[in-house]
Formats: sequence, structure tokens, C-alpha cells
Amino acid sequence: MQLRGSKQAMVAGGAALAALALAACSSSSSSSSSSAPAASTGASTAASSSAPVSGTINAAGSTFQTNFQQAAIQGFKATQPGVTVNYGGGGSGAGRTALYSSTVLFAGSDSPIPAKEASKVPAGKTVLYFPVQIGPIALAYNLSGVTGLKLDATVLAGIFQGTIKTWNDPAIKALNPSASLPSTAITPVVRSDSSGTTANFSQYLVDAAGSAWKLGTASTISFPASAHAANGGSGVAQAIKATSGSIGYVDFSTASASGLSAASIKNSAGDFVAPSPTSAAAAASQVTPKANLTFLAVDQAGAGSYPVTYQSWDLVYAQQPSANDAALLKAYLGYLLGAGQQLLTPLNLAPLPSAIDQAAVAQLSKITAAS
Amino acid sequence: MSTVTKADPATPAGSARPLSAGRRLGDRGFALLALAAGLLVLVILVLITLSTAQQSANWFSTEGFSGIFSTVWDVQNNKFGPMAFLFGTVISSLIAIIIAVPVSVSIALLLTEVVPRRWSRPIVYLMDLLAVVPSVVWGLWGLIVLVPWLQNTVYSTLSSWFNGVPVLGNLFGPPFSGTSFMTAGIVLAVMITPIITSLAREVLATVPTTDKEGAYALGATRWEMIRGAVWPHSQGGVVGAILVGLGRAMGETIAAALLIGSVPQVTSHLFAPGYSIPAGIANLFPEASGEFRSALIGMGLLLFVITILVNLGARGFVTRSTRRNKGTA
Amino acid sequence: MAAVSPQPGGIDLRESSGWRRTKNQIATVVMWSAFALVLIPLVWVLFTVIQKGASAISWQFLTGSPIPPNVMPLSFPGGMWPAILGTLEITGFAAVIAIPLGVLGAVYINEYGGNGWLARLIAFMADVMTGVPSIVMGLFIYTVWTLHYSYSGMAGSFALACLMLPIVIRSTYEMLLLVPDELRQASYALGATKARVTLTVVLPAAVGGITSGALLAVARAAGETAPLLFVILSTQNTNANLFAGANTALSTQIFANAQSPYVGAQARAWGAALTLIVIAFILMLGARLITARFTRYTR
Repeated sequence: MQLRGSKQAMVAGGAALAALALAACSSSSSSSSSSAPAASTGASTAASSSAPVSGTINAAGSTFQTNFQQAAIQGFKATQPGVTVNYGGGGSGAGRTALYSSTVLFAGSDSPIPAKEASKVPAGKTVLYFPVQIGPIALAYNLSGVTGLKLDATVLAGIFQGTIKTWNDPAIKALNPSASLPSTAITPVVRSDSSGTTANFSQYLVDAAGSAWKLGTASTISFPASAHAANGGSGVAQAIKATSGSIGYVDFSTASASGLSAASIKNSAGDFVAPSPTSAAAAASQVTPKANLTFLAVDQAGAGSYPVTYQSWDLVYAQQPSANDAALLKAYLGYLLGAGQQLLTPLNLAPLPSAIDQAAVAQLSKITAAS
Repeated sequence: MSTVTKADPATPAGSARPLSAGRRLGDRGFALLALAAGLLVLVILVLITLSTAQQSANWFSTEGFSGIFSTVWDVQNNKFGPMAFLFGTVISSLIAIIIAVPVSVSIALLLTEVVPRRWSRPIVYLMDLLAVVPSVVWGLWGLIVLVPWLQNTVYSTLSSWFNGVPVLGNLFGPPFSGTSFMTAGIVLAVMITPIITSLAREVLATVPTTDKEGAYALGATRWEMIRGAVWPHSQGGVVGAILVGLGRAMGETIAAALLIGSVPQVTSHLFAPGYSIPAGIANLFPEASGEFRSALIGMGLLLFVITILVNLGARGFVTRSTRRNKGTA
Repeated sequence: MAAVSPQPGGIDLRESSGWRRTKNQIATVVMWSAFALVLIPLVWVLFTVIQKGASAISWQFLTGSPIPPNVMPLSFPGGMWPAILGTLEITGFAAVIAIPLGVLGAVYINEYGGNGWLARLIAFMADVMTGVPSIVMGLFIYTVWTLHYSYSGMAGSFALACLMLPIVIRSTYEMLLLVPDELRQASYALGATKARVTLTVVLPAAVGGITSGALLAVARAAGETAPLLFVILSTQNTNANLFAGANTALSTQIFANAQSPYVGAQARAWGAALTLIVIAFILMLGARLITARFTRYTR
């Protein structure tokens, strides 16, 4: 009886290994270029250091940046094969915390360091903000038979506060006279976790809807109970996809990857603009950043500007303990600000306007080594 | 007479000599090593308690004792009442237990009483297979396969049937969502079934055969034998096994994080989305900082204490039951 | 066979009456249906994982590096080699830590502790520790290690080792109990020290059961996600160095990809899930094989 058991076990184990090997061999393994589309090097501003460096950069933070960072890491390998960059995501809060304890060399953050965290920055260290990407926040919706939905800030405030309850509400009808809007109930989909997307979307509502929006702006908002909350941008996208009559705010690259339709939003010039890398870039080009390169790209003027646009920075300490770390950071950040910017549009993100990009590149020289 | 001296049988070879210093030292050394390894368990448990308590001190001191029992979870206004998460943990685990217990105990009885030994092996293999599927795979499958099916087929029909029904409507009526307490409970039930089954089997195996044979001798059917001879001996132990399963369900993180709906709310509607403590920590920790983070760690400490109590109770039941049965085999 | 009428004052040897027999049959049917019920999700999940994962698995998948999610030639969803290497290394190192310590701990409880309060306390606490939520282990290692020494695969190993330790202690303890005392007494009679008895007689006698228990603990650890979430900083690069630098694992990759909307992500998740299940399955089979072949003393 014992032999029988072990024989059964061996047969099963052999079968499992054989199955895995068979699947591996028989699946079409057409050799494909496994690297990202080769970033044309040297095309942009001269910050990319040409001297080869080697080492490891550990980074973490904003999940909004993850796609861009992953593409950039692949592209950067082509120019600097001796450098390993690890970007772990984990959220802006986690990234900033890791930066305060110096467990990472740079942190991706969708917002500047909030006031209550200011004390966590070690004494004698200044944080430099390097803007790296701009992206539109799409108002994605799931409403069969309706395309090209047009909305504005007041209507959005009503939807997300629960005062506008059905799709055929007169306020929505007024903006979409030619659309056949059903009487379906509106299910607003919101983020249940703390996120820069919520912060920037609510900031837009504060700026553009004025007194119609009563919930303020923050990374987490207490939406009314009728709102369906989901975890993460992709959670929101999944919820919108699964629920007919729903509408939610989610970054545009996630929305388009999920195949969702996005509404055109009225900007401050009175035009209804659809989210796209171009319209986000147009909004960003209207921005004058502060001296430390922080800015808000929401509700910008200009005809083609998409009003709900947001941005993300990489935070670095100006004072680096080792010369090699300083060199690594300059090389990688220089790549992100230079050749790497071309990786953004295929990801449905927008590159930085050239004025901001040049200012950021100039800021690279502020990274110094303590020795 | 040969010059070889034969060993004197009256003198056991070598053992009458006192141990050399080296051997004694080696023996002491090994004993200390073993003691250190054993103490490591206590050290780790104490360290976990201390580190989580220290990290959550910020939250405890801000919220105060009453704040711990609040259900208000309002991050924007710095209100971190954990009760909604605790509620979700308890509800999803209870659902899991209600589904898993009859199934697990039945299978355990099947293996010990019904199935002849040579045929029990394939069943045991299958239960092993069930146990070895990682929780993240259950979560992945649940999210992509089970959730859409449940939302569009099961929950929508059930909640429309129960809509408006007096008591059951509050449990099974709308609102509903594919990711909900019920979905998490179902998948948790599948995950804890192998644990409860294997522990229950161990307990059932300690029932003295004389009692069982005596019941048969009196003309009992198998079911009557189980009720009359097996159950009284093993009920404590089976309850202990169930409590271990409960502890596992309460602590399960990844499957719950993907399937429970991520909305901290206290509601009687089982098909509505909710949140559990481990799922909350897994999903919210990355973006949290300051008091928010401290609150999450505090919830983790709360869960730690609760699962320890549940497991203490479980072990108490099991040891009491098996101790009674030892020596009577 | 003609019904036997009951002897006066004797036991009724006839078949049990209709209702009792029916109850018995119902009970049997219920028990078998419980088993069938539990098979449904098992078969469903395995079928789904194999069906969806097999199309993602290829030699490149198993040995290649990941590619960014939006850039995906449809035939190749990106490689999982960093994750596979990470899982094997992190789990392997966790096993190296937890198994010897667990065996030694069980040796203390069983051989040295006797009936002392310390041994009973340790045994009780080891049982209690099996129930600690895995996320708490992860938070623990995050606060005491990662915040001070940065992310590394080793931190993940520590977290997994904390998870495995009580499981190994418990199963080793059960196996040591089964080794007959006569073996120990005979060795003492030959003049061996306690350490020698344990190392050369008791442990080898129980090695089959100990190894299979350890393999099952490793299988459980390989599939764990929560302890690793905050301590290894999921990276896309292959990092063979366990002690420095961020690392990644199959379980965390599945968790991340499961929630990602990009087309390649789902394929990656299923492929990784299939790989992970095969690894865990092989470990489990190894445990069963060893139990069948090498265990000398069973219950």
C-alpha cells in the first residue's frame, strides 16, 4: 500500500513537470523584441550624462508613475547597462516614507510633501521636486448607446454629491441635446483608498465648480453612500466596466486600457475637450510652476486644455552622501527628463512642456555629493 | 594463553568512564541551542506585540478608548474608527464558517468512518491539493471568474427575489456587488475547509474503537454509531478544529483584499461590499502616512490579539478532548 | 433469506427498520455530496488556471524579463524569470532559517523540556503562532527591518520564516512523539549523551516525517503574498542577490497583475499562477512521496 502511494505521487509529479514543459515548448514562442520601443537617445536636451555609471537605484512611490518608470527602466538600460533601477510602486505615501528613512534614492509622488509630513525630512536635507509626467484624469462612463458625452464641473459636482441621480436629468440633457439619455440611475464610482487622482479631481471641482462642490479637496474624500467605492485606479475601471450606468474618475491610461469611454469636459475657455495626451500637454503648457517646480495643472486656460489634468514628481534629496549616488540620480533623472519623455505618449500620458522640462533639467545640477 | 584481552562482560564497554569534558560541553551546547530555538518563538511573539503596539501608539492616544469602538472611518477628517473593518472581518469569517463546517466535518467523517482505508488516499490527496492552492490564486480566480458570474447571475436574481421580504430582504436584498462579504466568505470557506477537515480527522481518529464496535454490536446503523459513539468523544476537539479554521479565515489577507469590495461600511446586506482588517491593511497601507498608518497598524494589533484568543480557545478545546481520549484506545 | 423472528427476550438481529435505514442513507448521501461540493471549486480553479495559464507559458515566459505593460506583442506577455528566481530564493532562504530552528525548537520541547512549564508554554505559543495573520508578520518585519535596512529579498525570507517556524515546530514535534522511547533508552544504555541520542538516533528515525512536514511548510510559504507585500519592493529586474536590493516574487506579481487593466497583465497573472501552483504541487508531492517511502513510524 505504501509503494502504491509513492508510485501515485511520482507519476503525478512527473505528469505535472511534463505538462509544464510541454506547455512551455508548444506555446508559440515567436522571438520578439522584449524590450520597450527603443528610445531614440540623444534627441533631447543635453542632460543625459554620457559617462557610463554603474550601481543600483532603489525607488518607490506613486503607482501613477509605474508604467512610465517601467518603460523608462527598459530604455535606460540601453544607454547605461551598468545601472539597475528598481521602481516598486506602492503608493505616494509609501514612497515618501521610504525617502524619509533613506531606504530609496528617489520617491515618486503625485503631490508635494504635505505640511504634516514636513517634520519628517531629516535636518539639513532639502527635497528637490522633479516633475516627470502629466496625465489626464478621465471621467469614464458605462452607458450603452451614448458616445461623446459632454459634462462640466457643476454637473460633475452634482453627480458625485448625489444630487443628480439619473442620466436623463435636465442638467445633463442641457449639455448633450442630441444624445438619447436613458432614465438609468447614475452610479458614481470613486476611490476608496487615498490617491493623488482623488486629490487632483477634487481640486478641479473646487476650482471650477465653486460653491456647487461642498466636499473640499483631499486625497480621500467622504463621498455620499450612494457612490460605489473601489480600490485603486484599476478597481475603479473594473467597477465601471461591470456596472451599467456608472461613471467614475480614473487616470486616462487605465481607462483606455480598460476600453472605457471618457467624457469631454468643459474647460475654462468654454470648450468641451476630450482627454488625450495632447489636451493634457496643452493644459500643462499654460502652467507657471513655483520656484521649486511644484504646480497644479487643473482647470487651466487655453482652448485645447483638458481641465482635469494631473502631474507627478520624483522627489530627491539635494544632498547625496555618495558621489556615485549623485551621478546615478543625475543620469537616470536626466534620462527621464530627456529621451524618456518620448515614452509617455504611447502610454497615454503627456510629456512635460519644454519650459518646465528645461527648468527641471537645470535643477539637476543642484544634486550634490557631500564628499 | 593469548595476549588478547577479551572484554569482561561484566564491564559494559566504555560507558563506565566518566564523560570527557569535550563531550559534556558539546552536550550542554546542543541543549542551549535547542533552548534558544524554542525561546525564539516567544521572542518573536513578544517583538510582534511590542513593535505593533509602539507603531500604533499614536493612533491609540489620539482616538482614545472610545474612538477604538467607533465605526466612523473618515480619512479626510482624521477619523479612524476600526469597527467597520472588524465587522467585515467577523461577517466574512462567519459566512465562511457556516459554509465550511458542515462540509469539512462531513468529509472528515467520510474519511474516518465511511471510506475503507485503501480508498481514502485519493480523497486525502484531493484535500491536500485544495490546501496547496495559494491564496493569491484563489483571489485571482475569484476576481476574474467568480465575481462576474456571482454579480450578474446569482446576486442579481437572488436580491430581486428577496427585495422587500421582511427579514431576509435585509440580508439578501439589494444593494449587491460582485465583490462583497458573501463572495469573500465563499472563497474563504473553500480555503479553510482542508484545515478543518484535517484537524477534525485527527480528533475523530482518537475515538476508541471499542465504543464504535460496541455501537455496531448493539445494532446501530453507521449514522447512529456516529451520533452516539463518535460525536460525544470528539465534539470538543471538532469545535477546536472549527475555531482554528475561524482564526485562519479572520487572518486571511489576499483573497479578502481582492474580493471583499473595499468599502468600509457596517450593513446587514451580505451581498454588499465591505472591508476586513487584513484587506484594509494590504490595500491602504501603501498610501497611508502619519496617524492613518498608525491606525492601520493598530487594527493589525487588534486582529492579532483576537486571533490569538481564538487560537488559545481552539487549542484548549482540542487538548481537552484528546487528553480525555488518550489511554482509552 | 427468510426474516428471522426475534428470540424471546433476545437481541433483534433483523435489518434496521425503514426510517432508521433511510436516515443512515441520507447521512451517507450528505457526506458524499459535501465531498462533491468541495471538489467543484477545486476543479474549477485548477481548470481555469491551467487553461488560461498554459497559453501564457512559454520558454520565454519562464526565463525572460518583464516588459512594460502597455508595450506588449500579443504573443509574448512578458517574462517572469525575476519573479520565479525571487520566489525560489526567498522561499529557499526562509526554509534554511526556519527548518533547522523549527526542528531544534521541537527537539527542545520534546526531548529537553520534559514536563516543565517552559516547554509547555513554548509548545502552546507555537500552536498559537500558527494562527497569526500573515499580514501581521509582514508589518512586523517592515517595522523592525525594512525601515532600517531597506528592501531586500532577505527581509522577505525573514517574514516567511516567521510564518514557517511554528508549522515546522508543530509537525516535527508530532513526529518526534512517534519515535518509540525504547530507542532512546537503548541509546542511553550504550552511554550516549542526550545530544548524541537526539542527533544520531531520534532525528534520523523521524526524518521522513520531519522532511515531509518541512516541505509542506515550504509549499505554504511559497504561495504567501501578504508577508512580502511591504518588505521586498516588487521590482522588474532580476536580482540574484538575496541580501541587498529589492526583489520580487511570483505571489506579489500575481497580486499586482490581477488588479491591472492592461491586456498583458491578466495573461501574466495566469501564467504566474500556473507556475506557482506547479511549484507548490511538486513540493506537496515530494512531501507525500517521502511520507510514503521513508517514514518509519506512523500513527
